[in-house]
Amino acid sequence: MDILNAIVALSNFVLIPAIAYGSQLALGALGVTLIYGILRFSNFAHGDTMAFGTMATILVTWWLQSMGVGLGPLPTALLALPVGIIACMLAVLATDRVVYRFYREVKAKPIILVMASLGVMFILNGLVRFIIGPDDQRFADGERFIVTARGFREATGLQEGLAIKSTQGITVVTAVIVVAVLFWFLNRTRTGKSMRAYSDNEDLALLSGISPERVVLVTWLIVAALATIAGVLYGLDKSFKPFTYFQLLLPIFASAIVGGLGSPLGAIAGGFVIAFSEVFVTYAWKKVLGYLMPEHLEPSGLVQLLSTDYKFAVSFAILLIVLLFKPTGLFKGKAV
Amino acid sequence: MSDTVKTTGLFALVALLIIGTGFVQSWNSALLILNLGLISAVMALGVNLQWGFAGLFNVGIMGFVALGGLATVIVSMPPVNEAWAAGGLRVLLGLALGAATIIGAILTYRAMAPGRKRNLTLLAVLLVGFFVFRAVFDGGVQAVEAVNPSVSGYLGGLGLPVLLAWPVGGLLAAGAAWIIGKTALGLRSDYLAIATLGIAEIVIAVLKNEDWLSRGVKNVIGLPRPVPYEIDLQNDPAFVERATGLGIDPVTASTLYVKLGYSILFAVVLVILLILAQRALHSPWGRMMRAIRDNEVAAEAMGKDVTARHLQIFILGSAICGIAGAMMTTLDGQLVPTAYQPLRFTFLVWVMVIVGGSGNNLGAVLGGFLIWFLWVQVEPIGLWLMQTITSGMSEDYWLRGHLLEGAAHMRLFTMGLILLLVLRFSPRGLLPEK
Amino acid sequence: MGDNPYQDDRGNKDRSITKTHGVGQTPLRKGGKAVPVEGDAPFLIGEAMTGGYGKGPDILHECTIAVNAGEIAVIVGPNGAGKSTAMKAVFGMLDVRKGRVLLDGEDITALSPQDRVQKGMGFVPQTNNIFTSMTVEENLEMGAFIRRDDIRSTMEQVYELFPILRDKRRQAAGELSGGQRQQVAVGRALMTKPKVLMLDEPTAGVSPIVMDELFDRIIEVSRTGLPILMVEQNARQALAIADKGYVLVQGANAYTGTGKELLADPDVRKSFLGG
Repeated sequence: MDILNAIVALSNFVLIPAIAYGSQLALGALGVTLIYGILRFSNFAHGDTMAFGTMATILVTWWLQSMGVGLGPLPTALLALPVGIIACMLAVLATDRVVYRFYREVKAKPIILVMASLGVMFILNGLVRFIIGPDDQRFADGERFIVTARGFREATGLQEGLAIKSTQGITVVTAVIVVAVLFWFLNRTRTGKSMRAYSDNEDLALLSGISPERVVLVTWLIVAALATIAGVLYGLDKSFKPFTYFQLLLPIFASAIVGGLGSPLGAIAGGFVIAFSEVFVTYAWKKVLGYLMPEHLEPSGLVQLLSTDYKFAVSFAILLIVLLFKPTGLFKGKAV
Repeated sequence: MSDTVKTTGLFALVALLIIGTGFVQSWNSALLILNLGLISAVMALGVNLQWGFAGLFNVGIMGFVALGGLATVIVSMPPVNEAWAAGGLRVLLGLALGAATIIGAILTYRAMAPGRKRNLTLLAVLLVGFFVFRAVFDGGVQAVEAVNPSVSGYLGGLGLPVLLAWPVGGLLAAGAAWIIGKTALGLRSDYLAIATLGIAEIVIAVLKNEDWLSRGVKNVIGLPRPVPYEIDLQNDPAFVERATGLGIDPVTASTLYVKLGYSILFAVVLVILLILAQRALHSPWGRMMRAIRDNEVAAEAMGKDVTARHLQIFILGSAICGIAGAMMTTLDGQLVPTAYQPLRFTFLVWVMVIVGGSGNNLGAVLGGFLIWFLWVQVEPIGLWLMQTITSGMSEDYWLRGHLLEGAAHMRLFTMGLILLLVLRFSPRGLLPEK
Repeated sequence: MGDNPYQDDRGNKDRSITKTHGVGQTPLRKGGKAVPVEGDAPFLIGEAMTGGYGKGPDILHECTIAVNAGEIAVIVGPNGAGKSTAMKAVFGMLDVRKGRVLLDGEDITALSPQDRVQKGMGFVPQTNNIFTSMTVEENLEMGAFIRRDDIRSTMEQVYELFPILRDKRRQAAGELSGGQRQQVAVGRALMTKPKVLMLDEPTAGVSPIVMDELFDRIIEVSRTGLPILMVEQNARQALAIADKGYVLVQGANAYTGTGKELLADPDVRKSFLGG
């Protein structure tokens, strides 16, 4: 019984949150890795792109809620998501048109694009704060739990409860669908393959008649969709705050690099590696160990390896370890 | 237009802007802008050293600045003797054990042959070391933090003159830079950007979390000053007499006097660093740095140790940021870990360097002043703009309130716009490298 | 520091933020239009071309290169003679300031390289001529990117020409040997169903045995009636299979003739073929 309780406690406090968080990071890292692979720079504005798409979704959600439109048990935000994605796509295409395209024309070095993305980051950050304000926004509605702790306890007779938030369920399901579609697109469709070809060898892609501008356009569209979905899922699961989204940049970059920059598969693996290590190291293990250990050995402290504030430190430490031993990331990235 | 004329003209413009602030707003605001402008210029100088001279992309400036701030606390605050008695040595012992664990792990790694046996030993060393470290360290921390937590709850500092904190801040930042540089530089390709981004967040996490060291989110207030206190000046009959003699109200005079004192101190630091940086740029060392930057392969073929030079310049630049951080905390008179925001302390400094002119020390200084001025003044300008726009709307119209509230965020937007405009139309910055 | 401030990266090599792998070197050129021309001309001809890269000095001087239907034309010459440059000029990768390029009765001098691909020029660069991270089959598919019709029969032809590629079609092209990579590269160019095939040193860096095999394959391709223009280091072997040979020296035509003639010419033998 104790072992079962330990497993349930572990799932409840570690596995399920980490899977949900990992999915969100993976979606974010996919966007970063696609831009890195195809436009050849790390987009510092990615966190703020996520914030922008999420903001648009929230605004539409509020409007729908005020109109009394909803999805029943599902959050209304899912209904607003397509509009948010389109708004984000428009914003991203506008920045590409006004900012990045010029640098492609003059064949600027990628580092110049990195600097330009700093400027875009400032602008988007200011814009989002200007429109929706710097404060925390909650926009999740509908059913809160798929499985409640109490219901689980009653059904199984275990001491420990297991709660699965509906946002966690939605996150995982959405992430699986999105990733499947993305991989199908990149590996099976003509346009997807042309994106990989462009990422591999720009000159040869040009010789093969692949239009760079079209590849870049499609990439931005995909990235905007990924960023908005990742941002909305994160916001549903936790809450929306512009500054938090900006700060997501570090774990997202870490995920993309740990997995191997430029490798979509790596981005997903990296997302989960980072999420699991963050949650594992900052979780207080007292409860789980309490079930597993004989009474006299039960730990007296919280058995928390590091305080939650150090979660960034964990992403970074994992990143460092991976890079020291496997400089190209877990899945061979293209360039490191 | 010759370079000298352009440089002089742009610096005169900045001076005019600050003096104008004095006339239009108040001399207190003008001096405040000047003081933080001086500090910003020092930071920009440090980053310019790294990016302009060596092409190193540091996005962890905030971390080095915060370390400078920490140095101010460690150097200048009086030691909390009770806390030291309660657990100070235990904390230090814990830290020493932690360091010993890491050194032990490195030695194990070097001494043993690769294989599973090494991995297991390494893991064992790290795990045992970690738990021993926590066992010793946690107890000490609890004891220290329990000492009068509302006013102290930390170890305090060394009680030395606060000016000493500036070089110490540089040293602390240099130490951190050495560790980062050692790991992140010098592989076939480096990954300094992500490393600095991460370290900066970690430094802030430590400051926020390790109450025994920095009081965490409770902040350290009342740091000693290198200049007199306003209240003492106001109580000094001689000062009051002189102020009235000049026709200034003694309260205003005292605040101006204090700020001017800081300005002089900061200006001295900036001038010294600027002269050093200029001389470095034109020395054989500076020429070598630029040779490496412009053609690394050729420089390497000529026997230059590129990695060592990069490490060197990274440490120097970071140390300058540390000094600036110590200066800033001294000016604030308090250490507020939550105030360290990457947009303000890392990316804004980048805007300063890019706008000013990377590779040109004077350009970086100019960028520091100019961007800082705009950072401060865009908010009132934005508010004024919004008031003008909304003046036609009725008092309680929702958009009016929203726009007025949002004016505060205009500065981020403006900074981005300026960066993009300069990057596009004057990519070498206002004062390009010669 | 270069002229272009946007290309000044200060020697930064931080791969956590920038990727240099596969960055395009081809300068973007705004393409003009093709103009039909009257009169008889070879199928493809670069006529009296003078030009260089960007604002740089002239590298080619009044250089003429031509190939007719069903022929193999070979450009040879000492190192730095401008062989590859001449071919790139025909393909539109540098500024031809004087002279013109005609393809199939049209003046294409103003066209960008991409537009020339659309006009039916298949070009195999000397290096980086395959998509290393993609499978052999995907490489071929990318070759056929501009086509909207069924590409299966062309792919079948390529597999018949290079049987080893069929066996390796699911393998990443970057994992193949040097000779096999060149086969992928030629196969990719053939997938467009080009009207003319241009090869820039196809045998660079492969062993003599592989080189012979590659030459055999090239002859086989040419038998299908596809004109081939080729730059070669190995002058003797190349001229042996050439219908027409061009010896370039310092960006200008030095000797021109059939492959046999050039091989027999004592001057050519002495200066370029080692006696």
